[in-house]
Amino acid sequence: MTQTQVDSSHEAQLTKQLVQEDVPRLLSRWQLVAVLACLLFAILTATIQVLSWNANRQAANNTEQLVRVQNIQSTLFRADALATTAFLTGGLEPPEQRAAYDEAIETITRQIAEAAEAQPADRDALAALNTAVTEYNATIAQARANNRQGFPVGAEYLRTASAGLRDTAVEGSAIPIVQALVAANAERAEDELNAQHPFLILLPGLAALGVLYWVNRQLARRFHRRINIGVAAAFATVVVLTVVGFFVAAIQASSNNDLEAGSYDTSYRESTARTAANDAKANESLRLISRGSGQVYEDRWVVASETVEDNASTETLPYWADYVAVHQDVVRLDTEGQYDQAVELSTTDTTLDAFDARSQEVIADAGFQTTDALRGGNTGILVLGFFTLAIGIAAAGLVTWGIGLRRREYA
Amino acid sequence: MRKLTLAVATFALLAGCGYSDTQVPAAVTPEAAPPAATVPCEDDTGDPTRSYATADVGNSKAIQDIRDQGFLRAGVSADSYLLGSRNPFTGVIEGFDIDMVNQIAAAIFGTAQGHVQLRVISAADRIPLLQSGELDIVARNMTINCSRWEQIAFSAEYFQSGQKVLVAKGSGIRSVADLSGKRVCAPAGTTSLDNIQEIAPDAIPVTAGNHTGCLLKFQNGETDAITGDDTVLAGLAAQDPYAEVLTGEALTDEPYGIGVNEENVDLVRFINGVLEQMDADGSWQASYKKWLQPSLKAPATQPDPVYGR
Repeated sequence: MTQTQVDSSHEAQLTKQLVQEDVPRLLSRWQLVAVLACLLFAILTATIQVLSWNANRQAANNTEQLVRVQNIQSTLFRADALATTAFLTGGLEPPEQRAAYDEAIETITRQIAEAAEAQPADRDALAALNTAVTEYNATIAQARANNRQGFPVGAEYLRTASAGLRDTAVEGSAIPIVQALVAANAERAEDELNAQHPFLILLPGLAALGVLYWVNRQLARRFHRRINIGVAAAFATVVVLTVVGFFVAAIQASSNNDLEAGSYDTSYRESTARTAANDAKANESLRLISRGSGQVYEDRWVVASETVEDNASTETLPYWADYVAVHQDVVRLDTEGQYDQAVELSTTDTTLDAFDARSQEVIADAGFQTTDALRGGNTGILVLGFFTLAIGIAAAGLVTWGIGLRRREYA
Repeated sequence: MRKLTLAVATFALLAGCGYSDTQVPAAVTPEAAPPAATVPCEDDTGDPTRSYATADVGNSKAIQDIRDQGFLRAGVSADSYLLGSRNPFTGVIEGFDIDMVNQIAAAIFGTAQGHVQLRVISAADRIPLLQSGELDIVARNMTINCSRWEQIAFSAEYFQSGQKVLVAKGSGIRSVADLSGKRVCAPAGTTSLDNIQEIAPDAIPVTAGNHTGCLLKFQNGETDAITGDDTVLAGLAAQDPYAEVLTGEALTDEPYGIGVNEENVDLVRFINGVLEQMDADGSWQASYKKWLQPSLKAPATQPDPVYGR
């Protein structure tokens, strides 16, 4: 059989096949499949990108809320430290210490309102916290009123207020509530920080590429051209969008991991240290108020001090060491029977204030770095999402155009 | 399905209702501590207030050792108002028990000024700190009894205390019999609580960490009455113009003594001499009138010493 005979036989077979098949209908079907693949790819990839954008936004919001509730926690302990220390100085407490206590309570009240505004899921817990803080403040007021008259029951009110603040055996105690708020917001922030999924973004792309490859093969089998230019262009577009999407998500995931181990962690741990530092100071005062019966407070001081040393940043640890040296002097004086000197040292020392001030700066800086980094490059992901949607729809148009060429050719 | 979940999550998060509510933690009830074991008294001599007779021991080794150290180390309370409590205005610990310490120091050194080292201790620390020699004496409303005599020595009785009841003025409670159906507070695990339940079985017991804790509950309307030693109740009544101690017979006898290490018999004899001197020169009476009488609202006399050990 000659070459001419072979060609004519093949053409005849193709013509016969095309005559047997309803080609326009097949073309419409392939076109529909390819267009749907492109559109689904565009919608799903864009959705994942919008989800990533939103996760970063939420991570920033949750980090802000975490910093806020941790600040409430630290300030509560600071208020308690101020109240207990003021008690040591006698019936008439120094006006500046009273003012610092009042300012701490005002800060707490304001931040509770801000936190309730920022996170609806925290509202019930914050309402319970507000009640606990009001009760604490009222008991401190009773302690003051009695202390000003020289009655020892004032010290008992103070101990009750301090214990009630921390007591896990009492329903609605402030510190357990604020600890629950810290835990919930830390979990939310960390979940959102880990919500970047580069490999997930590959799935719609790979699925769309598979469909486009199959459609191209069907066309190639029925027509003389191996590649349909429209389908190939859509294929290339999907490849580019998928690769870009993957790398952007991978970079974001890596950046979030760095944040979680970096500034986020610094902010969280420094807040933990600041809370424990103020708890330690309150226990130092309670030790002195209880005098010989104060060992239980010294034991709590030791636990709080270990928490500070485990969590404080390198910026604040030297300040803590200064305070620890003073505390050891206070304990030595108290143990040696020089109680008045111990009280004098404890009430006039400002090393803890220095730690607290520096610690607040570290927390504010680290918290800002975290939220700034999360929000800074985040708009790009949203733009990429819209871009993916638009170009994905354009890819569907390319497929329509490419298969349209074959339809015209057949006609 | 996963993609669908993600899409739904997106919309939920955008709507701002993506998180479950933060739970308010439930109270965690700690396990109750077991009651303190009572020390059985194996060598009951009849009258536990019997102490060592006075003698000329001013230059004995026991007293000379204290002179050499330069101060008398005394364990006291700082939260028992009128007996031993810190004056918030001056920072000085003062009260009836503190007067006893100062008189003993003055007898040793000529003056108490600069020769007293007060160490505030808890009730549980009283005996161990005497036994270890960290304290010379304990003057902390300590009841003399047989089982304690087996661990330490006591001076002669310096105050005859007894369990009484504190109520609100105008409450209508005039005697223990009126406590039926009323709430009565005493520190948890004390004999005061057991006594009141025996005498007024229909009273409702309320507990607190200590007597001042009971006063706090009393002022907050969580109890109708407080029971304990009359001296302690006098201190509570002095802090609350709406409280009064029921007059009349005490429910129990609580003889107070100065605690000393059991080896230090000469110091006990010396202290008993000081107590006799206080009786003679009227300083005990002056101290009582200053601290306790205004709240107990009754005169009292120093108990006669009983010797014979």
